[in-house]
Amino acid sequence: MSDSEEPQQKTVIGIAFGNSNSSIAFTSLDGKAEVIANEEGDRQIPSVLSYVGDEEYHGAQAKSQLIRNPKNTIAYFRDFLGKSFADIDPTNAHSSAHPIQHETGVAFSVEEKTDAEPSTLTVSEVTTRHIKRLQESAADFLGKPIDGCVITVPTDFSEAQRKLLSEASKASGLEVLQIIHEPVASLLAYTAREETSHPVDKTVLVLDIGGTRTDAAVIASRGGMFTLLATQHDYELGGRQFDDALVDHFSKEFIKKHKTDPRENERSLAKLKLECEATKKTLSLSTSAQISIESLAGGFDFHSTVNRLRFDLLSKKLVDQIVGLVESVVNKAGMDLTDINEVILAGGTSHTPKIASRIQQLFPSNTAVQAPATNPNALNPSELSARGAAIQASLIAEFEAEDIEQSTHPAVTVTPHLPKPIGVAIHSPEGDEGKAEDKVYVFLDAETAVPARRTATFVGTQVGGDVLIRIVEAKRESVDVTPPKEVKEKTNGTDEDDDDDEEEEEERVIKRVTEVEKVIAEALLKDVKKGQKVEVMLNVAGDLTLTITARVIGGKGGIRGTVPGRAQ
Amino acid sequence: PAEPEWPHEGGFHILEHLSEPTHRNLEPVGPHYLAHARRKRHHRTFSEDDRI
Repeated sequence: MSDSEEPQQKTVIGIAFGNSNSSIAFTSLDGKAEVIANEEGDRQIPSVLSYVGDEEYHGAQAKSQLIRNPKNTIAYFRDFLGKSFADIDPTNAHSSAHPIQHETGVAFSVEEKTDAEPSTLTVSEVTTRHIKRLQESAADFLGKPIDGCVITVPTDFSEAQRKLLSEASKASGLEVLQIIHEPVASLLAYTAREETSHPVDKTVLVLDIGGTRTDAAVIASRGGMFTLLATQHDYELGGRQFDDALVDHFSKEFIKKHKTDPRENERSLAKLKLECEATKKTLSLSTSAQISIESLAGGFDFHSTVNRLRFDLLSKKLVDQIVGLVESVVNKAGMDLTDINEVILAGGTSHTPKIASRIQQLFPSNTAVQAPATNPNALNPSELSARGAAIQASLIAEFEAEDIEQSTHPAVTVTPHLPKPIGVAIHSPEGDEGKAEDKVYVFLDAETAVPARRTATFVGTQVGGDVLIRIVEAKRESVDVTPPKEVKEKTNGTDEDDDDDEEEEEERVIKRVTEVEKVIAEALLKDVKKGQKVEVMLNVAGDLTLTITARVIGGKGGIRGTVPGRAQ
Repeated sequence: PAEPEWPHEGGFHILEHLSEPTHRNLEPVGPHYLAHARRKRHHRTFSEDDRI
């Protein structure tokens, strides 16, 4: 009855659902994404559920039960969703409730109630309970029920896993509007911040270093649209391995003092792991950290300190492994490190300063590395997925379910992409200081989805006259422009240079050049006066029909030409 | 200064076609994708879309 009075604004949130941690975010009225803290004040909420007596604990409280009550504590379950028991790697679950075989795949057996038989909880059921708790935290914070959410998953999540996740969320009373990819969500969290209607075209590497796994993705960002070019995963590389490096370091120290290995006792190991994780986090913020555990093993307390330099040494191999993953994924995309314009570091482990500095060294200096250690304006790496999900949720909140389904259907997402950059070469008029070489201005980079259009302006001519505009397909190459030895000798004219030969390796200078590969069409703009600006617009339609419009700014007329697509 | 040579009629001359495109999956995320999907579903061009 009161339909017209009711504000139709829906309350939607973004959920980043991780193996180790999950987070929830919403978009405020001014369009900014914010991550929500739960009742305990945590923004990174451990994906852990624990049963003690008749109580269900969640998040950090459940995680601390890993010491006293590991058998009834469920952790690291996300990647088990939709997998058969034979396909899972239970390594991470060794120190908590063990996964068991179940007709639907994987389950856990825990004592949910005092004086009752242990109950069997399927991974789907555990996921439902986890999402329910996340939803409750968000509803408490926002003061109203949540109507829907967008959840992020890794790029290697199967269709079956997505479907189960949707169902598990629905069972908790929360409708999933869309499931999106983690690296894409991280990229969206950054691009949404730029607040421009014409986002810069760039190729971005998203490196998500989580707790139990590391995922790398190369994404082409063209006109604000994203295309995944390559992905790669390492399931045995993450924050846990960094924790283990500290665990081993402190264990050796403890053994020296007390002749007991705290790793041999489950409870001691659980204590040490938890504290090492906290110590690692401190080392991301300060250059030294303390660790102090009461009654670690054999009744002995343990106090020690570690500095960042030592930690960097202990984890050097792991950082090398991350670098290897980066090189491999860029290679998989058929690219060079110099093709990457921006690196986004996501995931909790990306707070580690050494990782960011190694990545920065790996890439050319003009590649932006978005991490707290390399850019003071970088967003919190732990919050990226949730923010991106919240932004996407707010964009589609008002859509009907049918609209969302149609818009995300392969019929719409599968799109022709340009294999080569398309640009314009304006012939420098003769007499212009002998600079006869053509300069290619790239309008549409390779991997741009069509239809697409771009506009740019040039100073038409330095001397006045006709301007020849050539529309070209270009190629980009890395060229070794290290000055050759002979040139050096000629200029210096001395023999001493011969001694420098061995240093040559270090002095290599690589430059990116764009060259004309194929001229598509030519247009002639007549009688352009000296210094007048020329505006050129290129439009490539869905069938690869190319249209060019060129005109002198402020002038009359101009030229327009069309190159039909091949199909015609 | 010498003018560029122009033996063709009119102001426009076609030499080649664009290379065959590769078909890839766009990520259905972000405001620009949603605008793209809207255009594609309603078979609109950029300029038609601008006018709305």
